[in-house]
Amino acid sequence: MSKLRQIAFYGKGGIGKSTTSQNTLAALAEMGQKILIVGCDPKADSTRLILHAKAQDTVLSLSAEAGSVEDLELEDVMKTGFKNIKCVESGGPEPGVGCAGRGVITSINFLEENGAYDGVDYVSYDVLGDVVCGGFAMPIRENKAQEIYIVMSGEMMAMYAANNISKGILKYANSGGVRLGGLVCNERQTDKELELAEALAGKLGTKLIHFVPRDNIVQHAELRRMTVLEYDPECKQAQEYRQLANKVHNNAGKGVIPTPITMEELEDLLMEFGIMSREDASIIGKAKAV
Amino acid sequence: MPCEISDKSVAEVKIVSKKRAGIINPMYDCQPAGAQYAGIGVKDSIPLVHGGQGCTMFVRLLFAQHFKENFDIASTSLHEESAVFGGTRRVEEGVMVLARRYPDLRIIPIITTCSTEVIGDDIEGSINVCERALKKEFPDRQIYLAPVHTPSFKGSQVSGYDECVKSMIKTVAKKGAPTGKLNVFPGWVNPGDITQLKYYLSEMGVDATLFMDTEDFDSPMMPDKSIQTHGRTTIEDLQDSANAKATLALARYEGAAAAAYLEEAHNVPNHQINTPYGIKNTDDMLRKISEITGKPIPDSLVRERGIALDAMADLAHMFFANKKVAIFGHADLVLGLAQFCLEVELEPVLLLIGDDQGSKYKKDPRIEELKNSVHFDMEIVHNADLWDLERRIKKGEIKLDLIMGHSKGRYIAIDANIPMVRVGFPTFDRAGLYRKPTIGYKGAMELAEMTANAMFAHMEYTKDREWILNTW
Repeated sequence: MSKLRQIAFYGKGGIGKSTTSQNTLAALAEMGQKILIVGCDPKADSTRLILHAKAQDTVLSLSAEAGSVEDLELEDVMKTGFKNIKCVESGGPEPGVGCAGRGVITSINFLEENGAYDGVDYVSYDVLGDVVCGGFAMPIRENKAQEIYIVMSGEMMAMYAANNISKGILKYANSGGVRLGGLVCNERQTDKELELAEALAGKLGTKLIHFVPRDNIVQHAELRRMTVLEYDPECKQAQEYRQLANKVHNNAGKGVIPTPITMEELEDLLMEFGIMSREDASIIGKAKAV
Repeated sequence: MPCEISDKSVAEVKIVSKKRAGIINPMYDCQPAGAQYAGIGVKDSIPLVHGGQGCTMFVRLLFAQHFKENFDIASTSLHEESAVFGGTRRVEEGVMVLARRYPDLRIIPIITTCSTEVIGDDIEGSINVCERALKKEFPDRQIYLAPVHTPSFKGSQVSGYDECVKSMIKTVAKKGAPTGKLNVFPGWVNPGDITQLKYYLSEMGVDATLFMDTEDFDSPMMPDKSIQTHGRTTIEDLQDSANAKATLALARYEGAAAAAYLEEAHNVPNHQINTPYGIKNTDDMLRKISEITGKPIPDSLVRERGIALDAMADLAHMFFANKKVAIFGHADLVLGLAQFCLEVELEPVLLLIGDDQGSKYKKDPRIEELKNSVHFDMEIVHNADLWDLERRIKKGEIKLDLIMGHSKGRYIAIDANIPMVRVGFPTFDRAGLYRKPTIGYKGAMELAEMTANAMFAHMEYTKDREWILNTW
């Protein structure tokens, strides 16, 4: 068996992290890789397309029932889906209470201690929105994920989030082994999207791993709780994910320590591509003229 | 006339887990407390507790009460600002301050607490940063930094002790030339127990290392005023734990994880045995040492066994028979004492274990053995607090002749007028207990005599057949 590779997907909420990661991992599984997905989102929807079901029993909900995480068995929380991909959802508290970050720590510790990582080639963490606290940084701590893939688009806030996540990675890269694997641009059909994504990747010191074009078939597959790879393996979009999977696979050890930029630099970047113009500065904070 | 023998089949051993609605008088302290106890067991070690100051201060106080000595334990002294922004910088600063101030320092177990586990401080990452900084500032020194993850909302001081021993071994143990020595993990015991173990090993001519050697926690006051209150297990001992001939783990919950790790990572065969409370468990331990090392059990130990047996026989049937006992404390201690009680005809009817490791206790062979050997009803409660004892006594659910446990239960005994034998951790309301062995033959004898004397004093104090002692 090859050495265990641990990767993680981060990105702005709603950008398509879970969709992109599940499709990519399904393609990796097609290539014969043994995969474990660890959903680190309290919404527990990181494995829906692989399992054809939402909200499987999560580590935290079951341990809350059992009284303590020590009372759980691995089989209780680990499900197997498409192409034998193993899936675990960390789960977490309902919005507004408790500490979801601690939930992530508890779950990952439980999985490690109980041998969930034995015999797999890839562990992939799918983490919610932003690196908001120490708990959500668990997957990028020392001895966890080696490479982070940031899913983004040409929208300003998605780029802003990607930059913020890079700051988190930079912090942990200084104290540990985590690296930025690259950006994955999920096309939103914004202006000059490919160029912008490439430029941002350049600024961050990394590369655009893949530009995933927008295709409605993803939506069709999603409605059936499937990845495109399973729904229509011959389609063009499936081919895109296979390419992405290949690039991720060949990217082992090629991660970098990111060089995040300031908000001003990010705005400058947008100006450079004509998304915002210099003169626009005068309209900042002004309401639409009646 | 045939004497009456209770029918074995009517006796029941019930294991229950207390449902926690709240805790009244907890029996244990938290994980970081246990980790700190393990951390001070190594020479040239200062544990650094990553949390609020109380996590260190109250634990130090507890050690000071038990040993009447002071121990060096540092705190990162977390404040509001660190809870919000993360506290790893305080760890990094703390490590450097300790390194600068203590030129002989060789290991710092970095012990997390509730707050720092919840905020998710990356201790392993901080250690990387510290190691780089130490290398730069002190290129000629090697200071080991061991990450010890011990949130208090999990486990107890018992699992914290286990975790810290394991982490220090994991951090320092290094494969090298075989030493032919024996690793011994005695668990959380007193200096008197360590002295006793060392005596056995030396009588048998066995070269062994104790993890942790806490004999000097009973420390002398010397003319040169030097401070000798520290662990005696050295960094070299920790390194060479990987090169030992075998490991003997005397406690199932205290140090056993490290013993298992050495077998898994460094192929050091691990022998897990019962904690040597009582005659039989001590027999088993000495036989096991003999089996591993090929060294015979010398006459001196056979003689010690004989003396203990004689002393215990003088007391057992005359004073102990059918006396009901409740025992509380660490699982290894409580189960070991229950076995000891059975040897001297005491009837341990209630065993209280203070943490929730239910799935582990179900697999404990000592509980299985108790189930098969007692002729009276026994209740084993885990996840218990001291109220579980007090409530049963106050409601008249049980009638006890003796309580065995640590000093935090003293008022239950005083209020209910039940004699109590102080044993476990902490014991601060009787003098010099840390010096007395409770394990081994001698320990069994001491326990029996301590029990008898507690009962005798009680007979006198309550004027209850105290005249019997005139004729004994």
